[in-house]
Amino acid sequence: MSTRGFSLAALPVARVPGVAIVLVVLCAGFGVTSPGFATPANIANILTQSTILLLLALPMTVIIMTEGLDLSIGAVLTFASIVLAVTVIATGSPTLAFLAALGVGLCFGLGNGVLIAVFDIPPFITTLGTLGIAQGLSLLVTDGQSVVGIPRSIEQIYSGTAAGIPFPIIIAALAYFITHALLYHTRFGTYVFALGGNREALRVAGISVRGMLIRVYVFGGLMAGFAALLMTARLNSAHPTAGIGMEFDAIAAVAVGGTSFERGNGWLLGTLLGVIAVGVLRNGLNLLAVPSSVQVACIGALVIVALFIDGMRAER
Amino acid sequence: MTVVPLFELRGISKEFPGVKALDDVSFEIRAGEVHMLVGENGAGKSTLMKILCGAYRADRGSFFNNGEPVTIHDSTAARKFGIAVIFQDFTLVPYLDIAQNIFLGREFSSRLPGFIDRRRIHAEAKRVLDMIGFDIDPRMPVHGLGVAQQQMVEIAKALSQDARILVMDEPTAALSDRETELLFAMIARLKKNGVAIIYISHRLSEVFALGDRITVLRDGRNIASLLPAETTPDQLVTLMVGRPVDTTYTRPSRPTPGAVVLDVKNLSGPSGFSDINLTVRAGEIVGLSGLVGSGRTEVARAIFGADRVTAGEIRLFGKRIGGSTEISALRGMALIPENRKTQGLALARSVGDNIVLAGLRKLFPSGVFVPRRAMKAARAIIEKLRIATPTPRRPVATLSGGNQQKVVVGKWLNADARFYIFDEPTRGIDVGAKAEIFRLLDGLVHNGAAILMISSEQIEIVHICDRAYVMRSGRIVGELAHHELTEANIVRLGIHQ
Repeated sequence: MSTRGFSLAALPVARVPGVAIVLVVLCAGFGVTSPGFATPANIANILTQSTILLLLALPMTVIIMTEGLDLSIGAVLTFASIVLAVTVIATGSPTLAFLAALGVGLCFGLGNGVLIAVFDIPPFITTLGTLGIAQGLSLLVTDGQSVVGIPRSIEQIYSGTAAGIPFPIIIAALAYFITHALLYHTRFGTYVFALGGNREALRVAGISVRGMLIRVYVFGGLMAGFAALLMTARLNSAHPTAGIGMEFDAIAAVAVGGTSFERGNGWLLGTLLGVIAVGVLRNGLNLLAVPSSVQVACIGALVIVALFIDGMRAER
Repeated sequence: MTVVPLFELRGISKEFPGVKALDDVSFEIRAGEVHMLVGENGAGKSTLMKILCGAYRADRGSFFNNGEPVTIHDSTAARKFGIAVIFQDFTLVPYLDIAQNIFLGREFSSRLPGFIDRRRIHAEAKRVLDMIGFDIDPRMPVHGLGVAQQQMVEIAKALSQDARILVMDEPTAALSDRETELLFAMIARLKKNGVAIIYISHRLSEVFALGDRITVLRDGRNIASLLPAETTPDQLVTLMVGRPVDTTYTRPSRPTPGAVVLDVKNLSGPSGFSDINLTVRAGEIVGLSGLVGSGRTEVARAIFGADRVTAGEIRLFGKRIGGSTEISALRGMALIPENRKTQGLALARSVGDNIVLAGLRKLFPSGVFVPRRAMKAARAIIEKLRIATPTPRRPVATLSGGNQQKVVVGKWLNADARFYIFDEPTRGIDVGAKAEIFRLLDGLVHNGAAILMISSEQIEIVHICDRAYVMRSGRIVGELAHHELTEANIVRLGIHQ
């Protein structure tokens, strides 16, 4: 394929990833149009609100790098959040409740992984199915109502600070560094690249492809359990529709961040920037009083623009 | 003769349904030698190597490691004896770096459980790369490397696993002259370290420049083991060809060729061919021969309009075409691709659906699909080509290879194609059904169609074609008229001297 005439590749910006360009343009745009945007309080707000999405987008990056997908991650978060709320109200133990939420994530991750790796059901179908199951269970347990009456100790996980830094940001930063270490400094991470890039190479090297795939989806489920803790703390309740559509935002953030859906080409830092770009977009549109339905459309457009810029770069 | 071979295969036989791939072949490899394995396509070289590395199991025969009888029943066993194959399609992970690829699955552990010692992996990789004289930063990701460099990484990977016997299958096929030199220098270095190399090649110059010994396979038999000093290129070619003729098919007399159907002038393209001139007349089967990778398929795709062309012109029935597969098909050209399963057929659909696929516009000018009319058209084709199916409704995937091939042809026949390009029409078809395919081609030209046929099997070209062009390195290096059309002539023109 060849293009004549204008190409971004000819400009010096060619080496800057699409997601960085998008982020700068968004910040500049909102900085000019809404006076409330570029304030320290608002920026802290954007970052804090992005933490839950980051907890989902990190494992989503790993999953997509294996040429897989996890559509169930938002619904699993929701169900884990409900189980957490119900458990803490019933037992009064936040620790037990948190473990229960992680247990939900573990079960769904394991289920996804086994169905995909052992029974060879395509990830799209598998996780679409478990999305439905998790969503249905959430509605069943709550009868469609919010679960309220959660102790303050949980709520403080979202609103509390340490040395002036909000707890959620500390948790998200930890999650980022752990995922980074996993992906770039462990055997597991090395094999994630191989799962997407050349499974045959992994087989020839005597590594169990199935075992690695199951671990990848278990990681996704566990991270959804962690995200459920933040979500419950943030809402100070659990709601059966709280996580609906979060898989969309997570996949969008990964795509905006430049992770390719083929050949194990992933970039974790890109995902972080992608999550922030989605957060900036939502926040800026909120400040401009744009309805949330239009916001979803804007996130869709964001994905296309970022990939378009990346595509122009790769053209040469 | 007291040399105990490093590894020895004795009396290996292997049969596939309908084909005897290897028949009582013996082969030995000594430390520090480059052992050339030559033979035509289909002579059994690949099968023999797959048995050596444990990918196939021999029906009969025995193995000896340093003179001790052993068994190889899977690739793990082969690796234990230090046998490694550098495959044509590499087993590399594109977005890992060179060092991580070399040590994939054997990473050095750091003190933390599960963590890897990247520094040590890179240092060890550097050591292996130095050993083969490949000067590159092991931190480079593999996806940015060229074919030659990826091949070097594969070799480094094999050596890091203490390989003593390296199998290289046409390693220079995709390399430039300069890269080939580097590869040869590396091979010399490996020899000095006592590594044995089994080298499959079609290039006579390489066979004589590199080889310490030569083994010739033909039709699954070990024809000769020679020393390069005691043989000549001509003798080698004679040993490689000279197969008995397939007796199930006799070539009928052909009509006198009619008007020029396809006229290609000075065609060049970025996919690796240049200055191609060829003509095909009505009622004629013209062969396009040459080794795999000589650019035959690329030329065919360019003629059909599937690949880009940078210079020259293509005329079909006197009218200029090019650049669009739709226009080529509309004007009566058909390409029957090498891989019919992925490129020629909708495997999940019925025989009938496949047959009408390319002629929908002709059958249903109004755009409305009329099942009865489609059925009728499909039945006519099934009868005409004698496709073995009880009903057009049968899924095409359930048919034999030969009958699937007929469905692909039928698809184009139904679309009124008058010029056919066949790319390896007998690939994957058992011997018995081949004659049936040849009769099909005969039938087409008898009805006035013109055919350009690509085949790697010289015997087929000699057998069926009226004339043939021979390609080498993206160029046509010769045209053979019917009386000159022999296997030896094709091989001589097609091989790098």
